[in-house]
Amino acid sequence: MTVVPGGLPPPAPTPLFFRRGFRNLLVQGVYVAVTALVIFYVVQALGGREYGFGFLNQPAAFDVGNQWLINVDGTTNTRFTMYLVGIWATVRVVLVTLLLSTVLGVAVGVARLSPNWLLAKLAMLFVEIFRNMPLFVQIVLWYAIVLFGLPQIQNARSLGDAFFLSNRGIAVPWPEPDGGLYGGPEWLTAVWVGALAASVAAAFLVRRRRQERERETGQPHHPNRWAIRLFAAGAVGSFLVLGMPLTIDVPELSGTDYMEGLTLRPEFTALVLGLTIYTASFIAEIVRASIQALPKGQTEAANAIGLSGYQRLTLVILPQALRQMIPSVTNQYLNASKNSSLAYGVSYADLFFVANIIQNKIGHAVEVFALIIVTYMLMSLAISVVMNFINSRLTLTRV
Amino acid sequence: MTRKWRGLAAAGALAAIALLAAACGGDGNGGEADGESDGGTLREVMRRGELKCGVTDTLPGFGFANPDGTFSGFDTEFCRAIAAAVSDPDDDAIRVTFVPASAQARFELLATGEVDVLVRVTTITAQRDVGRNVDFAQTTFYDGQGFVVHADSDIRTAEDMAGTTICVAAGTTTEQNLDDFFSERGLPYTPLQGEWPDPQDQFLERRCDVLTSDKSGLAARIAALDNSGDYRILPMTISREPLAPGVRDGDTEWKDVVNWVVYGLINAELLGVTRDNVDVMAASPPNAAVARLLGASFQGSAAADLGFGVDPQFIRRAIKAVGNYGEIYARTIEPLGISRAGTLNALYTEGGILYAPPYR
Repeated sequence: MTVVPGGLPPPAPTPLFFRRGFRNLLVQGVYVAVTALVIFYVVQALGGREYGFGFLNQPAAFDVGNQWLINVDGTTNTRFTMYLVGIWATVRVVLVTLLLSTVLGVAVGVARLSPNWLLAKLAMLFVEIFRNMPLFVQIVLWYAIVLFGLPQIQNARSLGDAFFLSNRGIAVPWPEPDGGLYGGPEWLTAVWVGALAASVAAAFLVRRRRQERERETGQPHHPNRWAIRLFAAGAVGSFLVLGMPLTIDVPELSGTDYMEGLTLRPEFTALVLGLTIYTASFIAEIVRASIQALPKGQTEAANAIGLSGYQRLTLVILPQALRQMIPSVTNQYLNASKNSSLAYGVSYADLFFVANIIQNKIGHAVEVFALIIVTYMLMSLAISVVMNFINSRLTLTRV
Repeated sequence: MTRKWRGLAAAGALAAIALLAAACGGDGNGGEADGESDGGTLREVMRRGELKCGVTDTLPGFGFANPDGTFSGFDTEFCRAIAAAVSDPDDDAIRVTFVPASAQARFELLATGEVDVLVRVTTITAQRDVGRNVDFAQTTFYDGQGFVVHADSDIRTAEDMAGTTICVAAGTTTEQNLDDFFSERGLPYTPLQGEWPDPQDQFLERRCDVLTSDKSGLAARIAALDNSGDYRILPMTISREPLAPGVRDGDTEWKDVVNWVVYGLINAELLGVTRDNVDVMAASPPNAAVARLLGASFQGSAAADLGFGVDPQFIRRAIKAVGNYGEIYARTIEPLGISRAGTLNALYTEGGILYAPPYR
């Protein structure tokens, strides 16, 4: 090609650093190098030790408190069993926290949008206080309040000799498996629980059938009313037929502790209080945002067809807002479940606490922490699976 | 062309590796401290001019952080003795930095080099010796586990403790002894382990019925309370708890120094060398043993240097700083009402088991 006088000079070659191919290679090279280095250092740091999980099968030689429904001791049980006890303690805290924080969070979130000035401001205050204080501080504070604030056991407050309050815990009546009126075996209770589950299933079935018929015919078939009736009949009927295989254990003071009933220990209470309130303050904001994201026309339309405030909320606003909420609330659930490891700070023997005791006794830090990580990961995945299922069900648009 | 660029990229990647390796090598102490030590703690302390000593800060009599920020107690005196011993006589004295070490974190603090020596009411156990990066020096205090209860409680024997809630520090030998003790007797109990909140607070607030720990520590804690009469220490002792300073595994030079500072202070008591008379004794030693201990010349023979890697008068400086073993005990533990006579911690010449190999 001939150079045209006055035309553009041929383009200068692109400098090396600005070439895409070179940059890609550079980035990949650095990535590979860093990865290799990390692996190298980890292998080097861990070298020369013996690895394996065999230590988990040896006797625990320690005991933990705060056990419920199970009873293990450090002599006859292995370290792994104690770890399972820790997992069970974590699961209890997480389940109770998720339930309570959802209820509280929705209530506060709705209250923030209330036309009642006082209620709205109180809800705002709640959110701003508890969202902006470190969770650990809150949990420690709750524990201090429970430990130092509540009366000591010898001065325990009681309500009708059925509920007790002291810094040994809150004792409440609790159902206990029982042979029933005819003195039958204790597994009658399990039979009754089975009957209970069957009535729930039957109630759901009937409800769906009646909903369908309502849709087809346009006539009221009262699906909810009938479902509740069926459930109540099943539950009460089987309870009576089986001879009432359940007694309510009323707690009583014995020496320096409670007997019978259910005792919520201060460590558990403080942890659940802290986690619940903290998580609820975030869920409240999610609820508020999801409601505000709805088109204003929804509220206006609900008003126009004469729904009451409560009906508007439960029939129009919340069902729609729920779809927006689920993914963000899932995040909060995951946070709350992992934050439960702060149990460490209130001597509640959760899985992290137990694992730490094991690690402190015999070392094997790498294996113990791998175990902790895998456990929390499985717990998070389980929560995600459930929440994703709910999410997929809710986002289905049914016409 | 692409081949050329590939070559350059590979060179760049190699350069990056080299750079990173250099960077990591720079703070190599952090990387390898978890493994075996390279045996340089003594040199490191002398170079730094500072001894980082892991202690407890909540146990009156042993290791306690005073409101003014100073530390006092039996353990902290040994820190001061070690620091004085390894100081260069011609230079500034090595200062002691007290690092509060929790029961749970103490071995990590030692393994990672956050502290040079751990003098923190730590019991020697085989599991710790083998499983953790810690090597124990000579025992400084022979203790045993005991129990304290509220004075108004009915608990007097082991059987009385059945079914009670017992507060115990997490991550201690106490925790394991407790389980051994109760399972041997087939007695049920509920432990309440913690570090924060302090088991002592939980006990004082009657969250638990019994507080268990090393007996001297319990006595010290109770004695420090205003209402110490409201608590009762049970007479039984359920374990042996030899408390000893810990150093990192494999650092024999440093361990030798720590060991012989402890032995030296015991020897000083056996030989009658005190903080007040150490200078006089060094100037005119009454016998060869004292002369050797203090690194002094005796009857014309030169002072011996046994080759500890520090100035041969290191024990003399330790004595000058804190006094002999008996003086430390009298100053820190005696005031809490724990007398030494008749206990294991009395000299072997006085019915105890405190004994040190001769310095020669």
